[in-house]
Amino acid sequence: MREVMGVRMNLHVKDRVAVVGAGITLFRRRLLETPRELAWEAAKMALDNAGLTLADIDCVVIGTAPDAFDGIHFNGEYLADGAGGYGKPTVRVYVGGGTGVFVPIAAWWHVASGLCNTVLAVAEEKMSPAHPHPQGVFAYIWDPVLERPLGPNLIWIFAMEMRRYMHRCGATKEDIALVSVKNKRNALDHPAAQAAANITVEDVLNSETLVWPVNRLDISPVSDGAAALILAREREARRITDTPIWVEGIGWSLDNTHWYNRELGYPRYVQYAARMAYRMAGIERPWKEIDVAEPYDPFDYKELHHIEGLMLARPCEAPELLKEGWFDRDGELPTSPSGGLLGVGNPIAAAGLMKAAEIFWQLRYEAGRRQAKKPVHKGVAQAWGDLMQVGTVIVMSN
Amino acid sequence: MSWDKFWKASSVKHYPGKMEVEKYVYTPGIHGLEMAKALKEGRILGMRCGDTVYVPPRTFCPDGERGELVDVTDEEWIVAAFTVITRDMYGNPVEPQVVALVRPIDAEGGLFHYINAEPDEVWIGMRVRPVFRPEGERRGLITDIRYFEPA
Repeated sequence: MREVMGVRMNLHVKDRVAVVGAGITLFRRRLLETPRELAWEAAKMALDNAGLTLADIDCVVIGTAPDAFDGIHFNGEYLADGAGGYGKPTVRVYVGGGTGVFVPIAAWWHVASGLCNTVLAVAEEKMSPAHPHPQGVFAYIWDPVLERPLGPNLIWIFAMEMRRYMHRCGATKEDIALVSVKNKRNALDHPAAQAAANITVEDVLNSETLVWPVNRLDISPVSDGAAALILAREREARRITDTPIWVEGIGWSLDNTHWYNRELGYPRYVQYAARMAYRMAGIERPWKEIDVAEPYDPFDYKELHHIEGLMLARPCEAPELLKEGWFDRDGELPTSPSGGLLGVGNPIAAAGLMKAAEIFWQLRYEAGRRQAKKPVHKGVAQAWGDLMQVGTVIVMSN
Repeated sequence: MSWDKFWKASSVKHYPGKMEVEKYVYTPGIHGLEMAKALKEGRILGMRCGDTVYVPPRTFCPDGERGELVDVTDEEWIVAAFTVITRDMYGNPVEPQVVALVRPIDAEGGLFHYINAEPDEVWIGMRVRPVFRPEGERRGLITDIRYFEPA
């Protein structure tokens, strides 16, 4: 057992794990398909992509965020047959917004442990059924004595966190809006994208203020969608494809669940998760060794926050690098080349898995017009969620 | 197939549904109950764990041990982050209200509360103090503190 950042971690794995296929549905505000059908569409595309059928799959991992969005309790079980889980060891994992990246993490340990040769990992979210607005679901995350009587909603926290980040780092609204501009532009090349657009910093600043300092274009949209990956142990992977993408490291970490006890200006939980994953991947200088990254970006400041948490930039350095074009698709370290949640859309769990899938496509040089300009060897995808305090990280290489 | 273009959900084929549990009844918890009683008496509680006091109190410390309830005697608190609310959840305009994360000077953690000041008068690092409602109006909720005002 080795100790990593206070976490005791057993690094002996039975089988090396590779991603061999990926699939995704359209991300839209409201789709005709049921959650089950969305899961099936993504799973089918991933299977076709790998040249496999359901009969080749040993185990299934499903991810979906609160049942209250889809409006179906036991949503994981409900999705199971759409996700090919019928008659197989199937499990649903859930860490709120972090679920999307936690799905391949859980799939990884299914394979790395030697338990399953092939795993189908599916994430789905359908947010459109919740009325009048899926935001309402978040009214039930607050402490009934200390918080709920104040009538808080989710954006309040993000507004405070963004304000704290701006204060700590001297970042301006303009600096932060550039993330939204970049990601929505990147998404123009993503065939599944819901909110792709050519916008300017002024458009972001002039969009309506939701909760100061958060404007409408600072936030990702509400979406329906699903994504899927197929993971396999080395022997199967080499049989399935000539270009397996290796899962080199995984990490996840929880910060204090009482958000008053956290430093809002720096995501320590992401750093802990990233250190765990980098350690496993043998990465010592992530800012040099990582070629492409998909940091979680439900809000534009969050991408900067998470770039720093992933140690791809020093704390407070991300806004400056962003301005220089460092994180553009043709930059030194492209971030969210997919278009991210801001551009492609944010069906919670599916959005995180879309990020992992983008790293898969980038490392296979299959991202088409979204392909990073520089040669890519190692990539990292990350998601964030729960009560705003879980970080989930996956590192892949080709 | 995308039904994106239909702005009104009722204009597409749909099946209405409703979760039958309309209401939840929450218990305040061991230290939550103490905190509620204290708020009613015009006090704020914290929890001592070794050398550190945490606000608000929880039954257990970060290291997993049981904490000890103490009064938080800080006269002044500090604004660690804030925002301004101008709309409710459904987008309807409301009176601008400053909401902040306030931390006691000598303790860890803090509370989430309203600040009784104009939005442009509030800054991170500003000192504030709690203002309680009169005794008869307190109900054992966080709103027994009416707001924090500039100290």
